[in-house]
Amino acid sequence: MEKENKILEAIKVAFNVEGHIAREKRVMITANKDIVSSILLFCKNQQGYIHLNHMSVVDRIEDGKFELNYIIWSPTEKVTIMLKTFIDRENAEMENIDSIWDQANTYEREMREMYGIQFPGLIGRQDFALEDWDEMPPMRRDFDTHAYAEKTFYQRPGREDAKDVREELTKQSGEVIPDFAKKYSRE
Amino acid sequence: MVREKETTLYLGPQHPGITGNMMIKLKVTGDTVVRAETHVGYLHRAFEKLIERRNWLQTFTILCRFCVPEPDPMELTYARAVEELENREVPERAEYIRTIVMELARLQSFMLWYAGQSGSAGLYLTGQWSVGDRNYILDLFEELTGGRIYHMYIWPGGVRRDLPKGWKDKALKTMDYIEKRLDEYNKIMFDNTIFQKRAQGVGIVPKDKAIEWGVVGAPLRGTGIKHDVRIDEPYCAYDKLDFIVPTQEGGDVWARALVRQEEARQSINIIRQALEKMPEGEFYNKVPNPMKWTVPAGEAWTKTESVRGEVGFYVVSDGSNKPRRVHVKGAAYTNGITVLEKILPGQNIADVSFILNSMGVCPPEMER
Amino acid sequence: MTSNNKDKQTIVEYIQNWSRKHSLFVMAYGTGCGAIEIPATMTSRYDAERFGIRGAATPRQADVLLITGYLATKTLKRVIRVYEQMQDPKYVIGFGSCTINGGMYYDSYNTINALDRYIPVDVYINGCMPRPEAVISGFVQLQKQIAEGTANNAAKYKENLEWYRANQKKIIKNWRMPDYNW
Repeated sequence: MEKENKILEAIKVAFNVEGHIAREKRVMITANKDIVSSILLFCKNQQGYIHLNHMSVVDRIEDGKFELNYIIWSPTEKVTIMLKTFIDRENAEMENIDSIWDQANTYEREMREMYGIQFPGLIGRQDFALEDWDEMPPMRRDFDTHAYAEKTFYQRPGREDAKDVREELTKQSGEVIPDFAKKYSRE
Repeated sequence: MVREKETTLYLGPQHPGITGNMMIKLKVTGDTVVRAETHVGYLHRAFEKLIERRNWLQTFTILCRFCVPEPDPMELTYARAVEELENREVPERAEYIRTIVMELARLQSFMLWYAGQSGSAGLYLTGQWSVGDRNYILDLFEELTGGRIYHMYIWPGGVRRDLPKGWKDKALKTMDYIEKRLDEYNKIMFDNTIFQKRAQGVGIVPKDKAIEWGVVGAPLRGTGIKHDVRIDEPYCAYDKLDFIVPTQEGGDVWARALVRQEEARQSINIIRQALEKMPEGEFYNKVPNPMKWTVPAGEAWTKTESVRGEVGFYVVSDGSNKPRRVHVKGAAYTNGITVLEKILPGQNIADVSFILNSMGVCPPEMER
Repeated sequence: MTSNNKDKQTIVEYIQNWSRKHSLFVMAYGTGCGAIEIPATMTSRYDAERFGIRGAATPRQADVLLITGYLATKTLKRVIRVYEQMQDPKYVIGFGSCTINGGMYYDSYNTINALDRYIPVDVYINGCMPRPEAVISGFVQLQKQIAEGTANNAAKYKENLEWYRANQKKIIKNWRMPDYNW
């Protein structure tokens, strides 16, 4: 656990943030949104954490926040840092980090489309995976995908009652279901 | 100097050379690519949204469809994330079975790669052979799990069922056969001058930038950097087995092909060792009733090595019976978008699908 | 040729259908995850070419459009274009449960649930995913329909174009496509 302690202490000293070691090779840090890019630059340029593993959003709708996660990894230490920050859900805006890592551009474009988080200065097409989408950003938790699908797409009848298909089939063919098999039926 | 005229060329989504349903918008002057832009979303099924509506076990039917050529790493990575959240133990026998399943999945995916890589160079015979022989591995899967492509075999806490009677001998026999056949594929593919000429010096990933660009998997090892999740953060039974992680210098298509060729051989080696060393005992820890199964609140990030590179799962639980968020980082998400856009300029149009195959671009895991 | 008179086919139609059924060129467009079983179907063990089934690279040369699984709305637009570019005779095979009623993607906001509302389907193959044997059996079913002269859905598409267009435009909001005059 020396490597993990070393990087955790280094970040704590430099930025005065909270953090803990979740398990072997996992360091978790929570920081204010203003210093996220500074921490990432510090880790990349001075501590050797040069690989951006992942960026993720969790919609904390009950707190009115988006939780952003930056997961970075060091090829020499083999330790993963998970950096977490919270931003407001209303008019969500976050600093653009694609000048630090180019691949962040892809993640941020996806977040912009799926959650409606704006990244000032982000270049690239507005649409990532969707085309001509004019509803609410679909990955937000208040977007009801089932209701939207029922409204938009034709639903073939037969799914809503979820009947035991086997019983229907046996009725047609006249086959008898033995007792031991009946207990797996839906009723 | 007169500026040469640029033409826009759409490669895909309907194109025989594309690796799945995606599109690459190329700007070309003459025969040379000047700019490339990846367009994805043709396979977007909103999996991550659907997972929020499924319970912890129902999720597995969706997970294995994340990447079609190689579904098992997805199941394993998610199962490990759930185990980490729950502190659930896995019996040792299950760890060995998981190792075997993972390596079988890798092996069958390598055989699909043989078909794609040589097919995009105009060499169709390798594909006919390797895809035909791949059915023998799928037969093993079918006997073990009940499904040819999608297995849903790995659970949190172990695997769904034990090895069937006689499966071990059958697997060893198949491995002997596949090993013999791999030599034959290599003979017609790697000894072929046309393939060598087309592969060498094409699609170079620079060594000094590779990690920073987010390159993972065989493209990274092809530049000479030895990084493999199986040795960096061992999971399953990989730390008890003896295997080599091959690397090559150069970073071109040829180096990546050599890496994959050796990795396919190592997969056979690992399967043989795991079958020998596998202990007797339980193969799963009992899981609660799936409808009432709740997982303690928390978050987990787990990684697994697939053929295309590392697969990462970010799983968040809020203590309910459904996952709060499951975010997948497929290997192709960086390899197939940013890295591809960086290495394609300067290449010949005819080499684009060749490079796509060697980078392991898999659209379903890019857009999910 | 008495049996043909019974089926109300002229001898020319019979020969036409007979030759059509033995050369099905399949459009190589992997629209969904079912595309993974197509290489297995085409190669040595299952060898679909013995039924005259083989791949074609472009829509103009293809006879059969194989919809291999779910269709995202973005793909649906491309599929319609591909289908309209194909020349008669043309047939559509819906492959997998998700083309029939949405399958496991019934509540997804981005995949269509019933393929035959958007393009006419001749044969559905169920399963998720269908095995190569099932794929071949689906093709044999199509060959049977062609031989009987009942696989004329392409003509129905032209007749009911307005209905299909209305369904298509309900999903594809930004309709910028050329009209093909077949």
